[in-house]
Amino acid sequence: MGKINLRRCSRCLIPETHETIIFNAEGVCNICLQQVVKNELIDWDKRKLELDALIEEYRGKYSHDMIVPFSGGKDSTFTLHYLVKEYKIKPLVVQFDHGFMRPQLRENNERTFKKLGVDVISFRPNWHVVRKVMLESLLRKGDFCWHCHTGIFSYPMQLAVKFNIPLLLWGEPSSEYTSYYSYDEKEEVDEKRFNRFVNLGITADDMYGMIDGVEERDLDPFRYPALRDLKKVGVRSVCLGSYIPWDVRSQVNLIKDELGWEGAEVEGVAPTFPYEKIECFMQGVRDYLKFVKRGYGRTAHNTSIDIRNGRMTREEGLKLTEEYDGKRPASLDLFLDYTGITEEEFMETAQKHAVEPWVPELVQIERGKKLPDYDQWDKTFELIEK
Amino acid sequence: MIAVVDYGSGNIHSISSAFYMLGADVVVTNKPEDLQAATHIVLPGVGAFGVCMENLKASGVIESLTEEVFEKGKPFYGICVGMQVLAREGHEFGIHEGLGWVDGIVKKFDVDESEYKIPHVGWNDILVTRETPLIKDLGKDKTFYFTHSYHFITDDEDLIVANCEYGETFPTAIQKDNIFATQFHPEKSQENGLNLLENFLNWKP
Repeated sequence: MGKINLRRCSRCLIPETHETIIFNAEGVCNICLQQVVKNELIDWDKRKLELDALIEEYRGKYSHDMIVPFSGGKDSTFTLHYLVKEYKIKPLVVQFDHGFMRPQLRENNERTFKKLGVDVISFRPNWHVVRKVMLESLLRKGDFCWHCHTGIFSYPMQLAVKFNIPLLLWGEPSSEYTSYYSYDEKEEVDEKRFNRFVNLGITADDMYGMIDGVEERDLDPFRYPALRDLKKVGVRSVCLGSYIPWDVRSQVNLIKDELGWEGAEVEGVAPTFPYEKIECFMQGVRDYLKFVKRGYGRTAHNTSIDIRNGRMTREEGLKLTEEYDGKRPASLDLFLDYTGITEEEFMETAQKHAVEPWVPELVQIERGKKLPDYDQWDKTFELIEK
Repeated sequence: MIAVVDYGSGNIHSISSAFYMLGADVVVTNKPEDLQAATHIVLPGVGAFGVCMENLKASGVIESLTEEVFEKGKPFYGICVGMQVLAREGHEFGIHEGLGWVDGIVKKFDVDESEYKIPHVGWNDILVTRETPLIKDLGKDKTFYFTHSYHFITDDEDLIVANCEYGETFPTAIQKDNIFATQFHPEKSQENGLNLLENFLNWKP
């Protein structure tokens, strides 16, 4: 699918349509070059001491030592396990439930929470509102995940203010995947970052102005708290991956061994990566949308990480990428029923948001198969209008 | 509580809302009791040196300001003309007496105006000359926002914490004990400015 061959990084497989990508004279992308900073230039021993000091600064002074925002995916599960085990902290685990959690994920979460012994708050926003904002952000930005992006990053901050728990520790830093921040900067998970690449350029107030039939307060779960309120509590919000070197493969092995965490098959993902993005049954639609817009999918992303970490050759990665990226996911049927649009409307919207020089060609798209847990996913399509 | 001194000179809304945003409670005032109650005092200022001094005198705030800052040692921050009036005298539309809290005078830019337009308006780098808890963690970008035609000069090198270059080098931030002042506007200087204001809020001189 697509009329042109995208230029890809000469080291990994990320193409020129990836956000923030720049190639150097040798054709190596800035995300690969970040790994040089990560692996060679950062004094991780020193960073670890900084983490020690940070955690001690907040220990025992509040109802919980910190908030750990948690999806149940590999990164947040590792983060929670690491913090509880290494530092014996008492965390408040905060989960923003986007509404599409897969059965495997729920089982994993249950085990993780019980094994580690932690307090958990899970919040799920009103589906009527979610459905509206999903469609609106799809139409405007070619990305239906606004409610999830904004909720995941706003809601734990809101609870930090509400419960007066100043420290938040997130998982991987964004420099692992993009170049909005570089590894030598300490990435604060703050409003600047939120506005920079989390919220698709749409604030809760903006969204309120865009959709009908909601009250302003219906959008509160997606609203970043006021700086004044955050400062009053003295909120510090940072990534664990800024303090310890992130290594997905070994971390996945660790949570499998220690917590019985299990991966699952994901649409458009090679079985070589049974740990990636199992937290959402709309992930296949998201990755497909990305493929239509940018000409690459999740396998390019996964193989690139393994290539950077020396676990796969570029040729092996390319082969997998060509095989798995860009199939029409079975979950798209569900998505269309949820939002009430047709597949033509969906594709038309996606095409409108194509990133140059990629030109999607929407013929003969191979259909992907249903995942084993497909039948267990919620299929409530009829809503009672209030 | 932060007291922002209100003496009828210039826009104090942006500086007080910047402090408010950072979580501080702000009172805009010229009352001695407010200055007494405040933990930190800020003296903003826009316009000419002489006019600012006259307004300060007319507002009757100088006595309690001097007492709180100079005698009780409360953290103080003078911004722009609020920095300039700390000097002994200002040479703008005649020679005017300043508060004289620090040694120095204020004079017009002495630069080639065909190359360096006066007033000096916009973003410029600062060069930190002495470590201070107020200007730190600037990152790669060391720019702040300026708008002025006159600047402070001093023979007391120890006073200077940062310089700026615009045709000539001039002190852009000074600190003496609990007295801190900048020629640039932190409230208009984005992230660097907000960091500085936050450092000021946390400052225990």
